[in-house]
Amino acid sequence: MRSVRLDYALRVFWGLLLVFLYAPLAVVVFFSFNSINSSARFAGFSLQWYERLFRNEAIVSALMNTVVLALASTLIAVVIGGLLGYGFYRYRLGRLSWLVWLIYLPVIMPDIVFGIAEMTFFVAINERLGILSPGLGTMVIAHVTFQVPFVALLVNARLLSLDPQLFEACHDLYAAPWQRARFFLLPVLRPAILSSFLLALTLSIDDFVISFFTAGPQSTTLPIYIWSAIKKGVTPEVNAIATLMIGSVLLVALFSLLAQHGSSGGKQSKGGTKA
Amino acid sequence: MSVLHRETRHMLFTVAPGALCIFVFLVLPSVYLVGMAFLTNGPYGLPTLPLSLQSFRELAGFGFLGWSPGNLYTLIRSVWQTLLATALVILLAYPAAYYISTRPARWRPLMLLVIVVPSWTNQVIRSVGWMNIFAPGTPVSDFAALLGLTAPQMGLFPSQFAVIVGLVYNFLPFMVLPLYAAFERLDTEQVEAAKDLFASPMAVFRHAVFPQTLPGLMAGTVLVAIPAFGMYVVTELLGGGKATMIGNLVARQFAQASNWPLGAAGAIIMIAVTLIGLKVLRDLGRRLSGDREVVL
Amino acid sequence: MTHRRIGVTAMAVALAAGAGQAAAQFEGETLSLFNWSQYMDPAIIEGFEDEYGVEVVENYFNSNGEMFAKLQAGGVSQYDIIVPSNYYVPRLVESGLVQPLDHDRLPNLDHLMDTFIDPDFDPGNEYSVAYQWGTTGLVYDRDELGDMPASWSVLFDPAVNPEAPFALPEDAQVTLGAACAWLGHGYDCTGREALEEAARLVLETKQRDNFAGFIQGTPVLQQLVRGSVAAGMTFNGDYLFYKSEDPEGFENIEYVIPEEGAEIWVDNMMIPAEAPNPELAHAFIDYILRADVGAQLSNWNYYSSPNAAALPMLDEVLQQPPITPTDAEMESLTFIPSLKGDNLQFLQQVWREVESR
Repeated sequence: MRSVRLDYALRVFWGLLLVFLYAPLAVVVFFSFNSINSSARFAGFSLQWYERLFRNEAIVSALMNTVVLALASTLIAVVIGGLLGYGFYRYRLGRLSWLVWLIYLPVIMPDIVFGIAEMTFFVAINERLGILSPGLGTMVIAHVTFQVPFVALLVNARLLSLDPQLFEACHDLYAAPWQRARFFLLPVLRPAILSSFLLALTLSIDDFVISFFTAGPQSTTLPIYIWSAIKKGVTPEVNAIATLMIGSVLLVALFSLLAQHGSSGGKQSKGGTKA
Repeated sequence: MSVLHRETRHMLFTVAPGALCIFVFLVLPSVYLVGMAFLTNGPYGLPTLPLSLQSFRELAGFGFLGWSPGNLYTLIRSVWQTLLATALVILLAYPAAYYISTRPARWRPLMLLVIVVPSWTNQVIRSVGWMNIFAPGTPVSDFAALLGLTAPQMGLFPSQFAVIVGLVYNFLPFMVLPLYAAFERLDTEQVEAAKDLFASPMAVFRHAVFPQTLPGLMAGTVLVAIPAFGMYVVTELLGGGKATMIGNLVARQFAQASNWPLGAAGAIIMIAVTLIGLKVLRDLGRRLSGDREVVL
Repeated sequence: MTHRRIGVTAMAVALAAGAGQAAAQFEGETLSLFNWSQYMDPAIIEGFEDEYGVEVVENYFNSNGEMFAKLQAGGVSQYDIIVPSNYYVPRLVESGLVQPLDHDRLPNLDHLMDTFIDPDFDPGNEYSVAYQWGTTGLVYDRDELGDMPASWSVLFDPAVNPEAPFALPEDAQVTLGAACAWLGHGYDCTGREALEEAARLVLETKQRDNFAGFIQGTPVLQQLVRGSVAAGMTFNGDYLFYKSEDPEGFENIEYVIPEEGAEIWVDNMMIPAEAPNPELAHAFIDYILRADVGAQLSNWNYYSSPNAAALPMLDEVLQQPPITPTDAEMESLTFIPSLKGDNLQFLQQVWREVESR
């Protein structure tokens, strides 16, 4: 029997933990509505920082870049990573089994090493071939590269959990590979694809370091904008931009919750950042 | 068209794009970076021939001043801050994961989501949150000054304390998730048996709960300690130059000081320490679980 | 401010009427400008964009080191104009990151004052044209600290400021220069012993309880007015710029040239070696060199103009301290020397030691 006292202590602990987890975000949101330029004293409610935000061309274009980067890299990564996860499942006994190690490389490599390796590589290529000059393109490539392994792992895990006999049955049922993909693989992989889409999206939104080192003059994203703005101290304007990002993440969270309820087979997606 | 041919074609179609992407945009750049560490630093920071170990000597602290310990301090500080943050994360994550596992099943996904969501916001934004809370003049900072924890007028940030809080905040979810998974699979009969055997809850924990949650703990430690050791953003924003870690040292050679070979050598050390850390964790996990393979 | 805005508008209208024919060749092109933050009047950018039918994309840096690193990391083929300080000009030239200027495309070059023509750091203005000049001094909050001596002791002597939070810039030559000056070796010290002693001083300073971290010259002003630091180092023009925006907040924030010596500098427009649009970059440099634009720039950012032709149009506030230093202050101001080779490596090693402990 669990003691009542322990249970009570755990409840209090849980409450405090929620405060710890959400206080920093709440403070950011709260002070973004401050009517004065301070994050220590709240003088009154105002939307002026948001108005300024949307009148500031640099911020609006950073917002656009953030959205384009996150969506483009996630879509590409889900396709490439999904194929890779399937390929590893289907051909795992082949001569290519050593390739599996490729997947773990981005997982253990520190962000900062990843970022500078990409940066120096892009610079070297650019000097010689004139392609891959720093910008949204190089950022998408870098993001896709760290997203692909996570997508592949999720899709692969889902396939491993299926009964191998299903595949044989499917083979007998449909002759053409595209039919198998369309009528069998896609439906059974739907939950895994959905959760890997969300995971890849959050990985992209969470990243700062890799974006920072692969960005060019015209591809500033919101986190990079904030990074240079907070050198002057945290202002309500910075808090307002941050609030927009927090809001969008809450939307993603809500969406993932609904998606979980929608698909019974969908397990809790292992969320979080790139390790 | 032969069957074999078609199989190969399919394999290429599925595996090649991903494998190529990782190979060209990660393996090649990493090899290039490793090679750069063995070049000489040019007069203005770019790598040049001849091949040399100059950057490693510099990293070890040998320079115009004779030997100086700055970089060594940075490395030791990185390891120390990583260990401290990981230990704190474990202390917080254990009760949290246990608590979630005792709630009704339909609540658990939501509770896990609640733990995870903050880590979906951008790293920079999470640090901005703590900057807001720890800045001079905020209630939290004033309270700390009142208790004599900080000098008057100084906020709690920038400081090493702020960096540790930032690290714990960033990586807590990575410990809660695997620990929760372990608690969910917990064999309650074993725990009940242990309760009959041992009087103290500590002993029950040590002999029945801990061994069973060890795989989750080890997985969580890997997920927390590796990125914490490579941290750049939190130390840069919350540390104010007082809690510099090796990631900052490496980044600075590319973003401020211009000494690419030195930065590349630092990156190699980072990866080496990471791999050593993984090995140590693996051995530790084996010892703790009595020679059973635990993780990795 | 209002009368200034009207002046600016009138000027823009007058310009738009007179220009247009030579400008058409750049229609629709983009100029990428990499500049210090808070250093360029948006109205000048608009004026240039309208006159030439181009778009200007601005990016900002907060230290010369940051700018230099960005150029090496691919920026050399992405920015059209950069604005480094005097002591970084030789470094940029020798590392091949910038291209020679075509003086035929810069008819307004002779507007520069004699002092800025053929400077030591760039003989014959082969690569650079002066943009603005100013000083780097001590800034502090009188509310927190009371009246302070005009001395670097405010930053480096714990007895002078035992409690109030202060910051130093994360810029090796600037911070070590101030430490050198306080130690009596002069702001432009280059000797290894002097630099080593300065580095030790900065290290000790960094360990003090009230050291608030490394904050660059422009951002530190925002932190001063918000009260998160009480002293730091900044530039004279930025100080006056923010003071004019927020006279109340800056009422008790003082800018002084310490008597032990401080830095005088000149920032210069240069074109990266592989700039995407060097022709337009030349046009932009020449545009800035126009007498009226030069005056408009200084009147906006509160820095001294190197443009002789612009002098008659400068606001009165620019003719007096802290923008125009007194003769006595001029005596104590020095240019930071440009380092290279072993001396540069030495400085960077010493600074790395400061940062990592």
